[in-house]
Amino acid sequence: MSTGLIFDIKEFAVYDGPGIRQTIFLKGCPLRCSWCHNPEGQKMCPELMVSKASCISCGRCKEVCDNEKCITCGKCIHQCPLNLRKICGQHISAEELAGYIKEKGGYYAAYGGGVTFSGGEPLMQPEFLLETLYLLAGIHKAIETSGYANNETFRSVISMTDYVMMDIKLVDSHLHMKYTGVDNAIILENLASLCSGNKKFSVRIPVIPGVNDNESNFCDVAELIKNAPMLERVELLPYHKTAGAKYEMVNRNYDPMFDVNRPVFISQKIFSQYGIRSVVL
Amino acid sequence: MIERISSLRNFFIDEKKHRVYRQKPLDPMLLASKFKRNNIPDIDRAVIRLKYMLDNEIAVVLKNEKIALMRTIPNPPEIFTEDEINTIKATHHIHERGEVCNINVDYSLLLDKGFNEKRREITESIKKFEKYGDVSSVHYLEQLLSILDSVEALSGRYKLEAEKVGNKVVAESFSHIPANPPATFLQALQMLRLLHFTMWCGNNYHNTLGRFDQYMFKYLKSDLDRGLLDYDGALELVEEFFLSLNRDSDLYPGMQQGDNGQSLVLGGLNEDGTDSYNMLSEICLKASLELKLIDPKINLRVSKNTPIERYILGTQLTKQGLGFPQYSNDDVVIDGLINLGYDKSDAYNYVVAACWEFIIPGRGMDIPNIDALSFVKAVEDAAFDKLESCKNFDEFFCFVKENINNQVNKICNDTKNVYIFPAPFISLMMEGCVENAKDISYGNRYNNFGIHGTGISTAVDSLAAIKKYVFETNEISSKTLIAALKNNFTGYEEIRNKLRYSAPKFGNDDEYADSIAVLLLNSFAESLENKKNDRGGIYRPGTGSAMYYIWHSKDMPATPDGRDKGEEFPANYSPSMFARLNGPVSIIRSFTKPDLKKVINGGPLTLELHNTVFRTPEAVSKVALLVKSFMDLGGHQLQLNSVNRDILLDAQKNPEKHRNLIVRVWGWSGYFTELSEEYQDHIIKRTELSL
Repeated sequence: MSTGLIFDIKEFAVYDGPGIRQTIFLKGCPLRCSWCHNPEGQKMCPELMVSKASCISCGRCKEVCDNEKCITCGKCIHQCPLNLRKICGQHISAEELAGYIKEKGGYYAAYGGGVTFSGGEPLMQPEFLLETLYLLAGIHKAIETSGYANNETFRSVISMTDYVMMDIKLVDSHLHMKYTGVDNAIILENLASLCSGNKKFSVRIPVIPGVNDNESNFCDVAELIKNAPMLERVELLPYHKTAGAKYEMVNRNYDPMFDVNRPVFISQKIFSQYGIRSVVL
Repeated sequence: MIERISSLRNFFIDEKKHRVYRQKPLDPMLLASKFKRNNIPDIDRAVIRLKYMLDNEIAVVLKNEKIALMRTIPNPPEIFTEDEINTIKATHHIHERGEVCNINVDYSLLLDKGFNEKRREITESIKKFEKYGDVSSVHYLEQLLSILDSVEALSGRYKLEAEKVGNKVVAESFSHIPANPPATFLQALQMLRLLHFTMWCGNNYHNTLGRFDQYMFKYLKSDLDRGLLDYDGALELVEEFFLSLNRDSDLYPGMQQGDNGQSLVLGGLNEDGTDSYNMLSEICLKASLELKLIDPKINLRVSKNTPIERYILGTQLTKQGLGFPQYSNDDVVIDGLINLGYDKSDAYNYVVAACWEFIIPGRGMDIPNIDALSFVKAVEDAAFDKLESCKNFDEFFCFVKENINNQVNKICNDTKNVYIFPAPFISLMMEGCVENAKDISYGNRYNNFGIHGTGISTAVDSLAAIKKYVFETNEISSKTLIAALKNNFTGYEEIRNKLRYSAPKFGNDDEYADSIAVLLLNSFAESLENKKNDRGGIYRPGTGSAMYYIWHSKDMPATPDGRDKGEEFPANYSPSMFARLNGPVSIIRSFTKPDLKKVINGGPLTLELHNTVFRTPEAVSKVALLVKSFMDLGGHQLQLNSVNRDILLDAQKNPEKHRNLIVRVWGWSGYFTELSEEYQDHIIKRTELSL
């Protein structure tokens, strides 16, 4: 029985696949996208997360701490009168997680939904993910992925799911490396297998000002997916300034490599010219 | 919205230009002192006051309106002096302002008959009472006739004024109604406006509109059948009527601006199981969607067979952030009302009162908000007095139950001998009042009292914490807990945080807490079983709180759920405001576990969803499914908010109260209060733009 690391379970996700869904966020991601809005999902270990906005600086958390650097012991959590501190990242067995999902599964199934695995990058914990998926027979399963995993892992996970939402950030490999920290060859390879496969999927494009919000990138994406029979639609997620909101909570600076104030260019027309349905979320 | 309606909207709502026609406020004691001097009987006082208002109203007709009538006298004068009120209070219970309020009249009793026919009925009744030599009944009925005279005289002045300003439409309406029943949908709306206007002039308040789509439909249908009106024309008229409800609403009494009880109920099951939702119901939803006004407050009756499209239309309305429609579930409410003794046909005809209490049109003189039980006090008193001597939770809960019974008994005692001011005009639209020459203030077919229950979640969470930490894990001794509460957790901070944030909470789909909610609500229901009030009615337990939750929480010491001294309880049937819950699905699953048919006085679960959850049509349809799921699981009443700027600003100032406020930021949802100020500001700004 394998154990995984998750950092959130969200109820009533309305933008994470068909119907009403519960979304499980797996912790850890190989990418470091400059616009990442879930910084707490990046590291593959538990982290202390502090919401500083409403902190009244009472100092109780400091009184119980003897460590120079946080060791995520959790002592300070219960000291906060406003419940502003938490350990982000919880180890959980596939069995336990599947049990939780199944307990509520009937509700979501009744409303055309199911469960979505997101992250972080869920494919970073393939054994745990596969085992969990295996235990969820009869439940509609979706995955939200960057597609950054070896093709074998990718295919085996996809084969266990009912719906795939895959990010394509940039087609240009040089720019992809620059803005996400990784090469996109493996991503494009996985996209190709998705396009030729028999699994329903959608392609998600986080539309980032000055990074990928141009006709040529949209066209490149459209070219890659135009003949995919199982493609449902392209989902465009315009960048929003609030993407940096959680960095402070995990004690990091948000330092994007682009101008956050620049308006985002969105073109659904390009996709419709390719006969591809698109939606702005 | 067509140009004519938007220009009227602008005139009445944005620029409020109609207020220039208002007369100077009256001395509230203008009539009362005379009444006292001359020892005038109460019924006559109510009649004279109403006639004074009607006779002194100045007709104002705008050129481009089709439905006229606006109040020019700001305030109806009082009928009793302060001394007299105090004398009455010495021997009677006076509910709120003493006036008949918060009921739903059967408008069709005047609307469908016209005043001529009503006069004939009253005259028949007079003859009958003359035969018995019943002078006072004859006098009462003659008073009713004289009210009709004044309403007609005012209508006559409106007709003349309409002619004067060249408004043929309004002149035409008033040359026909109210003497005759309306000949068209427009005339029916004008007459309904007149009846409603007159109720407010009589100082009655929380004047609900009830099943507008049912009692008005025949007029619409007749026009459609005759080709006099089409769908768009009907929408225009309904919009103008809705607009008219917002003209004088600043003059209506209530706890705060907007609390005026102009609720309107759409759809609902017929007794034969068919659906009563019709074209007019849909038109009402669309009118409300276009107008974006707080009145009328739309209630949508749903049941297990309600098509999802209707929930979607409702959700589009919710998206506007006005806080309605409020949904009620016929599958639960009707059974609940029948169990309380309402006739089947009446139960099927239920409407909501000003806020959410379920009442019966034309036959109910219920007082559904006469008082409130404090669940929290029942728990807190038991904790302070008995916890240390209890060996287990069951033993402790018996004391809680005893406290509920004691509180309820006290409420029943305190609400005896209610005196209600006469309401002769309203009596014309309530069953049997004319036939029996009996004013509605003396009661009607149903004379039940509704009792709210405040702080349910605070009480459940407190009990869950006691059960777990005091009796099961023994982590906190009863002595320590009591000391912590008495000291408002000073010196007990860690205990407070544990109780507040780590204990089981109602709303987390956790059997541990949810089963206690079941126990608590059942105990409330049992405490009122077989109790009768002295007006021939029963007592109805409910899940509402009205303003009582503030009054009950103000002086309440710290509670075992980690709530600080004086901290507000959540309103109505809602989860704790500081416990971070799993989400709306868990809340719905928890809150549908109790048998809500047993506590059916009314009181909704309130869910606050951020308006970004409503962004795409697909997402709107998912919110609609969420609403439907509450009904499917046996929920009774639901009020949904697309959270607006005001709430966000309050959340910024008082984050403690809005722990469950979820905002969608960008591809993810978060707790608003956890965002840094900069981002909070940003989202507030965005909300501003999306309005």
